[in-house]
Amino acid sequence: MIINVKNIKKSYNVGTQEVHALRGIDLSVEKGEFMAIMGPSGSGKTTLMNIIGCLDTPTSGTYELNGKSVSSLEDDELASIRNKEIGFVFQSFNLLAKNSTLDNVLLPLKYAGENKNDAVIKAKKVIGRVGLTERLDHTPAELSGGQQQRVAIARALVNNPSIIFADEPTGNLDSKTGEEVMNLFKELNSYGQTIILITHEDSVAQQSNRVITIMDGLIKSDNRN
Amino acid sequence: MLIEESLKSAVSSIRTNRVRSFLTTLAIIIGTAAVIAVIGIGSSASKALEEDIDELGPRTLSIFPSQRKRGGVSSGFNPLVIKDAEALADNNDHNWMIAPAMSGSRQIKYENNNISGEINGYLPINFKVRGFDLAHGRLFTEKENLGRKKVVVLGSKVPGELKKSVKQILNQDILVAGTSYKVIGILAEEGSTGWQNPDDDLYVPLLTASQRIFGTDRLGWINVGISNDTNVDYVMMTIEEILRQKHDIGPGGENDFRINDWSQFSDLRRQATGIFTALIAGIAGISLIVGGIGVMNIMLVSVTERTREIGLRKALGATHRSIMMQFIVEAVLLCILGGLVGVFIGTSLLYLFASFNDWPFAMPISAIFGSITFSALVGLFFGIWPARRAAQLDPAVSLRYE
Ligand SMILES: Nc1ncnc2c1ncn2[C@@H]1O[C@H](COP(=O)(O)OP(=O)(O)OP(=O)(O)O)[C@@H](O)[C@H]1O
Ligand SMILES: [Mg+2]
Repeated sequence: MIINVKNIKKSYNVGTQEVHALRGIDLSVEKGEFMAIMGPSGSGKTTLMNIIGCLDTPTSGTYELNGKSVSSLEDDELASIRNKEIGFVFQSFNLLAKNSTLDNVLLPLKYAGENKNDAVIKAKKVIGRVGLTERLDHTPAELSGGQQQRVAIARALVNNPSIIFADEPTGNLDSKTGEEVMNLFKELNSYGQTIILITHEDSVAQQSNRVITIMDGLIKSDNRN
Repeated sequence: MLIEESLKSAVSSIRTNRVRSFLTTLAIIIGTAAVIAVIGIGSSASKALEEDIDELGPRTLSIFPSQRKRGGVSSGFNPLVIKDAEALADNNDHNWMIAPAMSGSRQIKYENNNISGEINGYLPINFKVRGFDLAHGRLFTEKENLGRKKVVVLGSKVPGELKKSVKQILNQDILVAGTSYKVIGILAEEGSTGWQNPDDDLYVPLLTASQRIFGTDRLGWINVGISNDTNVDYVMMTIEEILRQKHDIGPGGENDFRINDWSQFSDLRRQATGIFTALIAGIAGISLIVGGIGVMNIMLVSVTERTREIGLRKALGATHRSIMMQFIVEAVLLCILGGLVGVFIGTSLLYLFASFNDWPFAMPISAIFGSITFSALVGLFFGIWPARRAAQLDPAVSLRYE
């Protein structure tokens, strides 16, 4: 079991009001799963992803990643987990605008303290896997949306993480390029990569092997395809 | 690799916001330029001053007769005489040059031209102490002094005043107070020192002046030439000891002479320049601090603008330290760039100023390194707070930031 979440709650204080974004989530994810999270806007999908992605901490509940509790870790320990165990892919790509494809993909390796030569070799390898070897020196502005998202996927992959989280990765792409990105995810999953992705589109969710639906901070359904 | 990443990010951020970066560092640029220019001008000025002093020859003390008081009542001047100078010259404690002199105004005549000239009774060594150079002919010798010979050396302008060329007057006899003297040499132009104009004067051997012209052994002054590394206080003590003994002044009695140290004036001038330099440098330093506050402000803006980027970097594994470093490096780089531009401008200003004043160009390297280091420190100091703000951002919240 990679992820084991028990009774996770998350609430925010907005002014005097308390917003309950997550109201008791139980979830476990096995290695090699390709899971989709669905649900209406504001239901808590991103909040859940941030917590299991170690970007945020729950208000209560326990969370074990790879058998180790992460609920009580320090900021820098969480940073190290995000760096080595987790890869993020965002709806808006979030590439550094002034940096080339290679430099964007190198960034996690720099934070990992990797030496430069090894880092460049690794980065070029994953860029090859997403099919962008010809675009090494291009900046994001010189790439199409689909290519930018593939750079982001290469960046998420480069430290060989246990899980990849993708928050609406096809949300900014037309259906054709969206499909290309999904095909890439499926290919990665076929090699054993664990992937959790958030989506609003049924057609995207159907390509995974497990779909959970969240409503008002609770899991409403959990179906395997 | 992290430092490299920080530098890269800093360079790219500064390049993206060229105009803003320039405006932000303007105060740093002006501050550094002012520090550099003022320190440079100060050091060029004192170098110019030193060169002037070097031209004066070795360091000189002057002994003048002064009023002697008995029981609080002035009893007139007690003279300095040739024997006093001889007593000083007999002392071997110091490697000094004793140059006694007397002077007075006398009628000078050559052919039909009459002028009133200042006659100086000199020893040959006096020329050396004053650093006078000979342009034509020769100086008189010690032998001519002892023989009270009627020879004269002219200041560079005297031939002109007598309406003669150097050629026409050299080795001719001129009348000094009605007695004929042979012109044996003419000095090079020395330039006025403000209170003396050696170019207008005439120079005869001291004993000739004493016995044939002025009829007295009273000296006007005694110059003491000492090398620059001499301990001046010790020299002054020796002079006092010898002269007090010669003048029979008992313990507790007041000196009947005074000793001037000319170089004190230049020390004073140098001190004044130093104070001025420190003052302006201080003001410019304040401008650097103000610049630092500007940099802090713009760094805070930059942190806010790049909230999402910071969130992303954290999501990719950036630690507190690496985010801190990224923004501190940016602030320091901004300030160093400002400092470099400032150094360039300040140096150019100094160059213009120095060439305009005909001063040597003296820019202490330490001032350049010092002011760049200082601007770097300003960046470090004022970069810390924005960098901390960046590092403390919550990654989940930052990633939602639009
Ligand atoms: N930092 C925050 N402060 C206060 N409330 C927050 C914060 N982050 C999220 N929320 C609230 O938590 C709830 C869940 O938000 P979340 O972003 O997880 O929804 P979502 O399912 O991802 O929605 P979408 O599909 O629109 O992305 C929302 O009501 C949101 O307003
Ligand atoms: Mg969301």
